[in-house]
Amino acid sequence: MSNQRQASSASQVPHLSPAELSYLYTSLSLPKTPIRPDGRSPTQFRPLTAETNILPGTNGSARIGFADGTQAIVGVKAEVEKTILSNETLARNDGGVGGEQEGSAAVGGHGSWVQMSIEIPGFRDDDALPVFLSEMMRESLVGAVGTDETSDMTGGLKGRLVINKRWHWRLYIDVLLLSQPLAYPLPLLSLTTHLALLSTKLPKLKSQGEEDPFFDDDWAVAEYLYPRPSLSSGAKSSARSSFVRPPVTLLVISVGENIIFDPNREEIAVADAVLAISITRDSEAGNLKLLSIRTVDPPSRLTQPGVPNSENVSMLGAVAPTEDVAVLNPATGEEEVPGVWRPRRGGVKRSVIAEMVKTALKKGGVGEEVLEGLEGVEVS
Amino acid sequence: MPLDTSTTYPLTKLRLDGRRWNELRLIQAQISTNPASSGSSYLSMGNTAIMCSVHGPAEGRRGEASGSGGSAGAIVEVDVNVAGFSGVDRKRRAGGSDKQSSRIATTLRSAFQSHLHTYLYPHSTISIHVSVLSADGSLLAAAINACTLALVDAGIPMPGLLTSCTAGMSGSASTPRDPRNDELDPLLDLSLPEEQELPVLTVGTTTSVPVGENNMDEEEGDMKVAVLTMDSKLHYSYMETMLAVGIDGCNQIRELLEGVIKGSSRA
Repeated sequence: MSNQRQASSASQVPHLSPAELSYLYTSLSLPKTPIRPDGRSPTQFRPLTAETNILPGTNGSARIGFADGTQAIVGVKAEVEKTILSNETLARNDGGVGGEQEGSAAVGGHGSWVQMSIEIPGFRDDDALPVFLSEMMRESLVGAVGTDETSDMTGGLKGRLVINKRWHWRLYIDVLLLSQPLAYPLPLLSLTTHLALLSTKLPKLKSQGEEDPFFDDDWAVAEYLYPRPSLSSGAKSSARSSFVRPPVTLLVISVGENIIFDPNREEIAVADAVLAISITRDSEAGNLKLLSIRTVDPPSRLTQPGVPNSENVSMLGAVAPTEDVAVLNPATGEEEVPGVWRPRRGGVKRSVIAEMVKTALKKGGVGEEVLEGLEGVEVS
Repeated sequence: MPLDTSTTYPLTKLRLDGRRWNELRLIQAQISTNPASSGSSYLSMGNTAIMCSVHGPAEGRRGEASGSGGSAGAIVEVDVNVAGFSGVDRKRRAGGSDKQSSRIATTLRSAFQSHLHTYLYPHSTISIHVSVLSADGSLLAAAINACTLALVDAGIPMPGLLTSCTAGMSGSASTPRDPRNDELDPLLDLSLPEEQELPVLTVGTTTSVPVGENNMDEEEGDMKVAVLTMDSKLHYSYMETMLAVGIDGCNQIRELLEGVIKGSSRA
């Protein structure tokens, strides 16, 4: 248990020998045509099954299962809460100087109104991995701010939670990972949270203005937290893109010059760099925009190095010294003997990061594909 | 008039959710829901929904298995997680576990530790993970049923299905029972509002496998009570009725679960 808890960086490292790691690295870093252990293309995701609204007791819920058996369930619950304005803003309001400041707190919403907790079997919920994951997903969720002034979603999710100046919704997002994390669970959890938020409904408000909130008790007229395109609007794809959508966090790794999406555990183990990229749809232009990038500590640092024959005492004299000559690895700028594993020392080139972001964001790219796919899941 | 069982039940003989005293809630169950585990199940009794997954028997973690009794047989580990969204109001739990879930975990562990044929797997650990997705009464009973299904799915030998059910009385039942003027009815399979108001008994029973010469002559099947838990106060004269109703509920549930297990093997 204790060594499992320490694995905060990128989940457990599989027990692979230096020779296996080197083999994996070589096949994944083949220029232009990486060969993945499961035969996927670099941008291909693992097949998954998804369903929404599985828990009648929540405002919104979703379940996603990857083909390797890892499953996650997300339940979203909303509660009405009184907005507490800090003394500071109240005082400023009295003075009549900072009226706009006070308005921004009550109208724009507050990041702490969204709470997220992640349960991973074998981990306490204050362990490093769940806390890090939930904060990583929450910050992009809260940070997503719509730019469209006319829409309901001004101020993004935070703004949507405002009922009036004195009341707001508090959103609890609870993520349950149902199986041991076989790979770094971020993509699974992020996709499930996205789906759950898409299916989340809040009861229709009956009171107006600054009255104490009073809701319609008919659940059938409840409104989606993220407004959905009405079926009557003809051009579906254009209507779709005009709505603010919850962000999706994608896990991207680089191996050599190659960029690989949705890595499995073995692929993460040899990655040069692991990046968590949060993207969402830009409400105005309809294309994708970047919300945040986080680097995740690549577990390849912790692996055992292989020993080249030239340095191996037991092989002394058995091999001609000319056979293994150190070659400069263009991706890392380090001297390496081909076929001999060297733990990555971290650090990634700027051009590689730029390429990662570009692949995720470009039109018809991975991000668009993922968002389209999730939108296609029937939310009833 | 307040809507609770002790006032409305004597008038209508119907419970809050419209059931009669001896009716179970709708039970739906599925096994092999999670391919990443050795065995898994989903079980819902009314609005109580539970997912359970079993890992093992596998080599225990170092340090723990070498402890007490590790060599004699497998050790059963149970981890219960009541999801934050399971109740009506979202509950924040401090430190990852609360009293309710650790009590359920302890009961499950002691029930299955003695129920399973653990001696077949020395030096190993069977770990059970229970997630409560939605809680509406009879949590322990539903968890026991879900665990039984998952353990069957994992192929861990046991003498018979361990099934469980709750029974209660339709009033506070704190005074001795009057046999001539019996006002209170026993209730089967309590939901959360009933559970909070009335005395509840959780019964778990198992059948023993007919062995040897008893093989033929016991058509009824020998029933053993394996789990019995009660938190509330009750006059002992009601105990027998409640126990009888609970055991009867366990039998009904056993038939349902057997149907689930047999049905899934055909598919």
